[in-house]
Amino acid sequence: MRASEQQLRLWMIGGLEGDANAHAMLLRALVPLLQSFYRRRMSGRPDDIEDLVQETLMAVHVRRATYDRDRPFTGWLFAVARYKMIDHFRRSRIHCTVEDVADILVSEGFEDAVSARMDVDRLLADLPPKQADAIRGTHVDGNSIADHARRMGIGESDVKISVHRGLKALAARIKGPN
Amino acid sequence: MDMEQLIDRLAADVKPVPRHSIARWIALGLGLGAIGSIATVLLAFGMRQDWSVALVSYHFWVKWLYTLSLGLGAILVTARLARPDAGRLRHIWLLGIPVALLATIGLVEMSRTAPGDWLAMWLGGSWRDCPRNVLLLSMPMFVGLLWAFRHFAPTNLHAAGAAAGLASGAFGAAVYCIHCPEVSAIFVLTWYTLGIALASALGALIGPRLMRW
Repeated sequence: MRASEQQLRLWMIGGLEGDANAHAMLLRALVPLLQSFYRRRMSGRPDDIEDLVQETLMAVHVRRATYDRDRPFTGWLFAVARYKMIDHFRRSRIHCTVEDVADILVSEGFEDAVSARMDVDRLLADLPPKQADAIRGTHVDGNSIADHARRMGIGESDVKISVHRGLKALAARIKGPN
Repeated sequence: MDMEQLIDRLAADVKPVPRHSIARWIALGLGLGAIGSIATVLLAFGMRQDWSVALVSYHFWVKWLYTLSLGLGAILVTARLARPDAGRLRHIWLLGIPVALLATIGLVEMSRTAPGDWLAMWLGGSWRDCPRNVLLLSMPMFVGLLWAFRHFAPTNLHAAGAAAGLASGAFGAAVYCIHCPEVSAIFVLTWYTLGIALASALGALIGPRLMRW
């Protein structure tokens, strides 16, 4: 069973007062919490997620003085976790520079962006692989049609047709029931 | 490393954390920086000579009230941004109050001065040096705050840098009052504020580089 906010907060406060036992309980309880937090938000390899969980545990430990005992613990925890995730993206040069991190965190647009990305992945999963690859290559990752064609070893017009048919199928699916 | 090993290792090092440790670090960093700033103003610029006049004139106190209230407000924002879950800064507009009050005083002073003297009032005798000196005097306190931030967990690094810069700029300007004999409110409103804004911009610029964790 997952520990409640109440329980986590008590352990955190215990740790802040020097109770090593409470601190260990807290860190142990955070492992599954953080694993599902990261799994839900990124499509990284399992190793990446484990690394991030460990890094976040260390941050929780080292930066615990920044937790205000009168405020919710999970709010603090997920703010740390989100920062570590974006920092991870920056270091692996996936999405953004650290300058963007601040704005993203503030506006909370990050979660929207990630879930939008996940929505796109889910939609594309329903298409034939060739069409899905063509759309992902050109529209999501932003490669040119020529680049994508070269990478896949197919003709440019083939890519164009795949993109066109794929987008049409997606549009039909989104409009679908109405 | 194994997750269990990591947890055991971290749990072996659980020192009690005092309440209000953010406030303590900030006070320490700012305090040590302030010593550096005051030493700099005394050694590099020297004290103003007319203390007996200054202490009884409202100009002097307006300057201190303006810079100190701005600094105090900025330091509260800075302390908030030291936490990862800083949230939205709803009360940040309060920082505009000292500026608005000083602008009001400036207008009143101008209305009591002949328009021909306005330019002299605005530029004073030291407008060229003032912003630079304020920026210079803010640096020790900015460094002190950056040191304090090594213990913090800011997630909005631009804003945290800007707030720390603003606080050290405003306190740097307060320290500069020890030297600067300028009296008019529009002088302070323009050239002091410019120095403070430069410190804040510098903070916003380098905060993301130096406050990462």
